[in-house]
Amino acid sequence: MPELIAVLKDVSYKYPRSTDFVLSNVNLEIHKGEFLGLIGPTGAGKSTLCMALNGIVPQFYGGRFFGSVHIGDLDTTEHPISELASLVGQVFEDPEIQLIATSVENEIAFALENLRIPREVISERIPKALSAVRLEGTEQKAPNELSGGQKQRLAIAAAIAVQPDLLIMDEPTSQLDPVGAEEVFATAHELNQELGMTIVMASRAAEEMAEFAHRIVLLSHGEIIALGTPDEIYSQIELLASNNLRPPQVASTFYSIRKTGIAVPKVPVRMKDATPYLGDLANLKPNPSFALPAPPKVTGEPLLSVKDLAHVYPDGTKALYGVSLDIREGEYVLIIGQNGAGKSTLVKHFLNLLQPTEGVVKVGGTDTREMTVSALARRIGYIAQNPDNQIFNDSVRAEIEFALRNLDYSPEVIETRTRESLEAMGLMDVQDRHPLSLPKGDRARVVIGAILAMKPEIIIFDEPTTGQDYLGAQYILNISRDLHKAGKTVIVITHHLYLMPEYADRVIVMGKGTLLLDQDIRSAYHAKDILKSTFLTAPQAVHLSRQMQQLNGNFLPLLTPKEIADYLAPEEGAS
Amino acid sequence: MSEKMPAGEERKVKFLGGAAIDGAPVAYIVVLAAVVVVLAFFPMSVVLASGGSFPMYQGILAIVGWILGPIAGAVSTGIGALIAVFLAPHTAVVPVVSVLGSMVAAFAAGTMVIGDKRKGWWFWVFLYGLVLYLYFIGRALFLNKIGLWTVIAGTFVDWSGILLFALPTRTLFAKWIHGKNWGLVIAGLALGTWSVFGLTHATSAAITYHMFNWPEEVWVMLIPMIPFENLMRVAVGVVIGGGVIAGLRAIGLVRPENSIY
Repeated sequence: MPELIAVLKDVSYKYPRSTDFVLSNVNLEIHKGEFLGLIGPTGAGKSTLCMALNGIVPQFYGGRFFGSVHIGDLDTTEHPISELASLVGQVFEDPEIQLIATSVENEIAFALENLRIPREVISERIPKALSAVRLEGTEQKAPNELSGGQKQRLAIAAAIAVQPDLLIMDEPTSQLDPVGAEEVFATAHELNQELGMTIVMASRAAEEMAEFAHRIVLLSHGEIIALGTPDEIYSQIELLASNNLRPPQVASTFYSIRKTGIAVPKVPVRMKDATPYLGDLANLKPNPSFALPAPPKVTGEPLLSVKDLAHVYPDGTKALYGVSLDIREGEYVLIIGQNGAGKSTLVKHFLNLLQPTEGVVKVGGTDTREMTVSALARRIGYIAQNPDNQIFNDSVRAEIEFALRNLDYSPEVIETRTRESLEAMGLMDVQDRHPLSLPKGDRARVVIGAILAMKPEIIIFDEPTTGQDYLGAQYILNISRDLHKAGKTVIVITHHLYLMPEYADRVIVMGKGTLLLDQDIRSAYHAKDILKSTFLTAPQAVHLSRQMQQLNGNFLPLLTPKEIADYLAPEEGAS
Repeated sequence: MSEKMPAGEERKVKFLGGAAIDGAPVAYIVVLAAVVVVLAFFPMSVVLASGGSFPMYQGILAIVGWILGPIAGAVSTGIGALIAVFLAPHTAVVPVVSVLGSMVAAFAAGTMVIGDKRKGWWFWVFLYGLVLYLYFIGRALFLNKIGLWTVIAGTFVDWSGILLFALPTRTLFAKWIHGKNWGLVIAGLALGTWSVFGLTHATSAAITYHMFNWPEEVWVMLIPMIPFENLMRVAVGVVIGGGVIAGLRAIGLVRPENSIY
């Protein structure tokens, strides 16, 4: 029987002034040395459960608490958080809010100093912690100089320097780019495998969780509704779907294939587990009625034109090197690339927020340098990663009217367009409410509504899916699709490649300030080496398709689980 | 969220360990002290008697007492006012009086309790205020021969504050601040701030009058000014206090043991 490190018994919890229980009769044993994954839809209680493991719930928040949580022999309601902190470390979702010191080594030393660890011991632990997260040599650096992934690794280092028995990580990669996320998962895996640290991680990254976790807990409405190995949990596609969770794409691919009637012995949850089945699948007779959709042909003069664009920032950083591209009316374009690739720099030139050092950017045939930002704002709408940063009025209606008033539209036009935007975004009933009192998804609609009121031709979504759960990400992307169908030109910047095949037609791949690839989405996703050069990975369905192509040269380059299933589906009437 | 009955035994929830003063986490004390320091930079009006101006933080001294309790509140405002003396001397006027007055205000506010715990503490604050008020007006009337009605009119803020503090209105304002009716919360903040600062003003004025001994002409000029300045403190208290209380209730942080909000 593995040794237990934490036991939750009949745990129920209600926040102050809340009518509902956030956790309800949770019973869970956490074994020493395991990597326990925690999944569940937004509002399931994952963060609350994480904070219950170190006493923050209920000591810091108050409320009503039932049952018990023991970390070793310590009951978390009878021992101070400061005492529990030496046993349980926690890393939160946003690296920015966790780092408070002026240097990397001070950050790691902070908790140790507060726990009155002797100075010489602190000096020993700092390099060990940095080595564990591969941040050696950064001792004197200021945390704000680190990349997102490095910051999160520093937060992990600060947590493990205390040498806790249990390390809790609550959505540690949701704010990071793929490189940063990979670094964090690799670090967590090493801590677990090589140092034997017990890890509890709440994460939406299904592929990585399937790879690294020993067990998965599925939490919904505050209750544990499933507990098992990744193979047991992530293969239950319908259970996950009913909880708005996304399984690893290899699992959803095999599930989709199975639903067509093809015998699949099991639904694998990792790419390597799918390999034994690919040979048989690759050699199945494809469905004759399946046809690859042709990429849409867009003609006409470019709406956005970039020619030999180079940009050098005032500090000398060269961000763009000779980028040239055209975007025509009605296109849906995806721009991808790792952090620092130049995506945001490129997009800011469209809005004249940055001016070219060399080259030309034109909107509707006019050089952007000859246009004011306000004039461009009438033609190009920009939705930032965090919509809250674009909300500053007291009511939804005022937010939507704001730009129209400032651009001197007549009262009749303001009234008409505001009403149209409110109706289009389903915000009529909440038009008098303060935007920040709305749920997060609705706040994004407020910002989109405000932009739509100006009737721009082009709408840019900058990282709309970062920090969102699967449902939230789909919600925003569905809005982008509706806008595209209504004739708008849509540009989306995102890291989440697996979400985009249903939406984007064309992909622009940026890497180190250069344009690496500009092709239809199918060709781009199958350009493995190009994606790899910019530290991006195509979705698992694309990998499966490629592997099957290697086994059977006639296998088509497919993009999604549904495409693979439809391609392999037996012809109707065939046995 | 689930509506199932909890199977586990309900536990007593309290904030354990950590540094706390009189049940208020040190973090809260420090944050509110920092707020006092920041508001010290904003002069609210010209005070003729001593040639300086009074700082905006005077409007929130009572709120700090209502949030942290009397002892932690006094510590917080005392630290804030002390730092403010050095960082914002233009509003410090008489430094010792600034610091002492800040502590008295927060302490007095913190004694406006609702239940039985510490229900007698208010009396000692009242006595302190009354004694210093009597000294203040005694000096004016008998040493400087200021006219009676001038003194009464000139100390309106002081005697009205002391009266409201001594009467059951003290507990009534506290109940209003504690309640859910926002109209009454605002009324409680307004009248509570008036009352607390009135009492505090009496104690501070006694000291500064002893130091500066202003003539009757200045008394006359101050008759309309002092109530107006106190109204400005009330406005600050209502606006900032209302927002702070709404925010604290919304985020649901554990309340300091002796808070009344």
